[in-house]
Amino acid sequence: MAPEPPPLLTMDGITKSFPGVRALDGVDLEVRAGEVHCLLGQNGAGKSTLIKVLAGAHQPDGGAITWRGEHVTLKSPIAAMRLGIATIYQELDLVEGLSVAENVYLGHEPTTAGFVVRGRDARTAAAALLRRLGHTEIDPARLVGELSAAQQQIVSMARALSHDVRLIVMDEPSAALDPDEVANLFRIVADLTAEGVAVVYISHRLEEIRRIGDRVTVLKDGRAVASGLPAESTPTREVVALMTGRDVEYVFPERPAQLPLAEPLLTVRGLTRRGEFAPVDLEVRPGEIVGLAGLVGSGRSEILETVYGARKAEAGQVLVDGRPLKPGSVRAAVRAGLGLAPEERKAQALLMLESITRNVSVSSMSRFSHGGWLDRGAEFKAARRATRELSLKPDLPSAPVRTLSGGNQQKAVLARWLLRGCRVLLLDEPTRGVDVGARAELYAVIRRLADDGLGVLLVSSEVPEVLGLADRVLVLREGHVVHTAPARELDEHRVLDLVMEGSPAS
Amino acid sequence: MTQPATPAKQEGPLLDGGGPRKSTSGDGAGPWSGRLFRPDVRTLSLIGVLVALALIGGVTKPDEFLATSNVQLILTQASVIGVVTVGMTFVITSGGIDLSVGAIVALASVWATTVATQEYGFAGILFTAVIVGVGCGLVNGLLIAYGGMVPFIATLAMLASARGLALQITEGKTQMVSIPSVLDLGERDAYLFGIPPLVLVFAAVTVIGWLVLNRTTFGRRTVAVGGNAEAARLAGIDVRRQRLYLYLLSGLCCGIAAFLLIVLAGSGQNTNGNLYELDAIAAAIIGGTLLSGGRGTITGSVLGVLIFTTITNIFALNNLESATQQIAKGAIIVAAVLVQRRTSHTP
Amino acid sequence: MPETPRLSAAATRRNLLFGAAALSSGAFLTACTSNEPKESTGGQAADAPVADDKPGKPVTIGFAGPQADHGWLNAINVNAKERAKKYKDVTLEITEGSNDTAAQIGQIDTLINKKVDVLVILPADGKAMTQAGLKAMRAGIPVVNLDRIFANPQAYRCWIGGDNFGMGLNAGHYIGEQLKDKKNAKVVELAGLDNLELTKQRTEGFDAALKNYPNIKKVARQAAEFTVESGQAKMAQLLQAQKNFDALWNHDDDQGVGALRAIEQAGRDDFFMVGGAGALSAMQAIESGDSVLKATVLYPPTMAASAIDLARALGQNKGIGGMAEFEIPSSITLYSAVVTKDNLKQYMSTGFK
Repeated sequence: MAPEPPPLLTMDGITKSFPGVRALDGVDLEVRAGEVHCLLGQNGAGKSTLIKVLAGAHQPDGGAITWRGEHVTLKSPIAAMRLGIATIYQELDLVEGLSVAENVYLGHEPTTAGFVVRGRDARTAAAALLRRLGHTEIDPARLVGELSAAQQQIVSMARALSHDVRLIVMDEPSAALDPDEVANLFRIVADLTAEGVAVVYISHRLEEIRRIGDRVTVLKDGRAVASGLPAESTPTREVVALMTGRDVEYVFPERPAQLPLAEPLLTVRGLTRRGEFAPVDLEVRPGEIVGLAGLVGSGRSEILETVYGARKAEAGQVLVDGRPLKPGSVRAAVRAGLGLAPEERKAQALLMLESITRNVSVSSMSRFSHGGWLDRGAEFKAARRATRELSLKPDLPSAPVRTLSGGNQQKAVLARWLLRGCRVLLLDEPTRGVDVGARAELYAVIRRLADDGLGVLLVSSEVPEVLGLADRVLVLREGHVVHTAPARELDEHRVLDLVMEGSPAS
Repeated sequence: MTQPATPAKQEGPLLDGGGPRKSTSGDGAGPWSGRLFRPDVRTLSLIGVLVALALIGGVTKPDEFLATSNVQLILTQASVIGVVTVGMTFVITSGGIDLSVGAIVALASVWATTVATQEYGFAGILFTAVIVGVGCGLVNGLLIAYGGMVPFIATLAMLASARGLALQITEGKTQMVSIPSVLDLGERDAYLFGIPPLVLVFAAVTVIGWLVLNRTTFGRRTVAVGGNAEAARLAGIDVRRQRLYLYLLSGLCCGIAAFLLIVLAGSGQNTNGNLYELDAIAAAIIGGTLLSGGRGTITGSVLGVLIFTTITNIFALNNLESATQQIAKGAIIVAAVLVQRRTSHTP
Repeated sequence: MPETPRLSAAATRRNLLFGAAALSSGAFLTACTSNEPKESTGGQAADAPVADDKPGKPVTIGFAGPQADHGWLNAINVNAKERAKKYKDVTLEITEGSNDTAAQIGQIDTLINKKVDVLVILPADGKAMTQAGLKAMRAGIPVVNLDRIFANPQAYRCWIGGDNFGMGLNAGHYIGEQLKDKKNAKVVELAGLDNLELTKQRTEGFDAALKNYPNIKKVARQAAEFTVESGQAKMAQLLQAQKNFDALWNHDDDQGVGALRAIEQAGRDDFFMVGGAGALSAMQAIESGDSVLKATVLYPPTMAASAIDLARALGQNKGIGGMAEFEIPSSITLYSAVVTKDNLKQYMSTGFK
């Protein structure tokens, strides 16, 4: 590319807000024809919002998009598709009950007289696309549900190519692939770019970005902190520094100087679920916060849910106070004193139609009942004490829980376990959906609970959160614990190195 | 900061008396907790519909409609389907559905009126009706809670089998009841202070149902399972056992309803309970119970039943055709649901 | 007339069958006279072979009815079975009853394939089952259509059934005679399932009869569903609505069980009641004389026994006694007798449970 061609796509000062969150705060992005442009950034930096704007799934609040020199608005996914922008999401959006060819041509089937689908033509065309992608072994007539994850991704790509595509957005395409499949993916990307198609490539793996990327844009807190860096020559350190440098420093509560020496409350030995995580050992002592750091798909949430019995362990033991728990039984875990604040609060923890009180008391109902008969006065008072303990606002125990902010909903979940008298709290992404101001308060609450003698096992994809809050940190990569250390001996760069490069340090 | 996290004990610091009260609201045991009946917009709108119907009845047939005997009649006619609806309300609140209620009523009513059962007299009939109901509920519950079947399918299968079995038992014949004590219960002489015994049973089932749903851990668990089964499971509730109990409860209500129907009709017939499932679901839904689960109201369901029964009564008193009655019933279901959409702010 | 060559080439039985079609449609009369088996005998009534109890040529009769979920329908099955048992030369192929038209069509197909000699069909829905009747007839199997009539006369060789209009008419006349001296007499009607045509016919007959009695006024009519439960519910409402009236006509004795229960519960005895169909329980109540039920108008389930007789006669190529014609009639409408305490003895045995 000797003379600088005009950029294929320019995004200029894109902003997008959701209630309580400013997801994109003036992002600039420039993509040239035939290049692989990598997007980097931590979770919550705004990558997925940005690609959804690009795909037409989200409408930006402000900013301009220029496509091949013309100002455009991407009103809908179809509008983006018509311009030649295709997106391959991490969660593949294929219809499992339809065939490969039907999926590829879903919504733009070759037809006779406008409505009679010419199935044979679709299969022939799909076969040609699959050949172009180097996957002749996929039969266009097969059901997508019968294919492997890697093959499904190929189908998704074939679908993108079935349009006259000029830009393909790939959201962590390598996450579900093994090394051979990744090599094939890279070959496809190379072929596409050789044909002049641009690729926006999102990945957490710096090594991949070095291998196939041309330029890198780094997002942080909804802004592009660096654009158009050369992918090959920018040092890892600089990229990580760009990703982690923060405008808002979280205020973390102080750690106790020394943890009291005590027998572990929670002991996990050799806990295993194939395909999710390798044998895991860990201990949590009273007053201790243990953090699990890792990327999405590293097995952190799965470990937490298996400890809790929500998933059944294939091997290994969970012991509370030295007594083993019945595997796969949430009730046994709760009875032994475990409490989970799950990642998806609304879907997994809260009864959205119910009041704060009822959400708090749901795990302790037997304490307020005599022969199944509820003493609602006692229930109300106890729930209110628990919510006041955590400064849940507003202090209206009869208000529906759905009216609370994210942070206060999380407090309602914590109050539930506080009321239950739980001994070990399992926190999965405790600050997800909680705005920045409320986080510090939540951190203080968690630390206070630990100071009062609880054990806490914390999972977070936000490295600073784990480092700031936990006493001890286990770093996970693809289901393996790659490093264990006291939090004060680690810094963000080191953890990001570990989770992204995966060089085992222990 | 006290120590909030000590192991659960009745005497834990969380539970003894609260400190100084400084909240803006929510003092005492909550704004509503002391009252037995909490009128909300929905309940009031249902009462409004009932009052409007009473006015229509009173204006069109003043002598007949407002007579004590007519009130007794409306309540008696509401009793059988009303008891079924109470059970149905629990099931729907938990996010389930029971399509087999009519068939269970039919089966229980014919099983309890066979010649063999009648040899055991009053107790034999009552016991058989209840046991058959509970037994069918148990099968439903096991299939759904532990067999992993979808409630719609499991109870549809029960509907077919129970109706078939009822037909097989009766061979299509009407089984007359010859036990005087059973028959007497449906007569005017058995009224207590002017209240028919059937209505007393209906009232008792309603009150007990209300208390169980609103005042017990069982009711709370029902709502939790219906509102968010996954959250309930992760909160430590045994969701499957709860589901089993709920279908048992629905079966029990069907058994009681079958006994009431035997008393009312003085016989058992395999055609009994025709389309009860639809009537019960309709009454629960217009009453304000969410078909998707998570919210249920016994008061609303009973009002729903009374509305339907009153409509039927007014039509019959005015000698209107059955076709007109059906059209009006459909229109009222639609209107009631639309009114609720307007008056409730929940999704 | 595409059928003509095929039919004229057929066996004797089919000629007979064709003759029947001619009788009912008229148009084929000339086309078939040359094949009439009895044409040459000159037509003396005495010569006609008449079906009797003596064993004759073996006949296999296929019987398809709806699900017996109702006392009257059950009585139909019982009557058919017991009648067939009476004859040594009759084999009865009875299908599982079904209320589903599609299922019943399938059952009739099966009977056709089994090559039964005669079919007796009580359709779940007469009009909807017409094709099944036609198919059997075309396959050369004469069909005795029981009660619910096919839409096309070619679909049966002989129809036998009750008279719904006549039922209402006789009920009306009976009530009219009882009340003819009373001024401003009031009657109430508890009808059956309003979706059914037969309910409308019964009501029309009833109204037609009442026109003869200007002193009588029908003050209320409500429709129940032929079930005890609905009979009780609707009667209770009627009693509430009508504080005094003189007579009640109830279309069906099964729902009458519920109606009587409601009357008993309301403690009313200021009127008399006439039932319908002829259930045993109704006849017993009439006999005992201590209930309001004073009469019931028959809709006799014995028609099933007669249908078996007709089928046997068809299968054996015989006519029926007491008539001048050689062939059995193409249509037989039964009389709806009014059963009262006076003539009860004679009908008691036909009462169904």
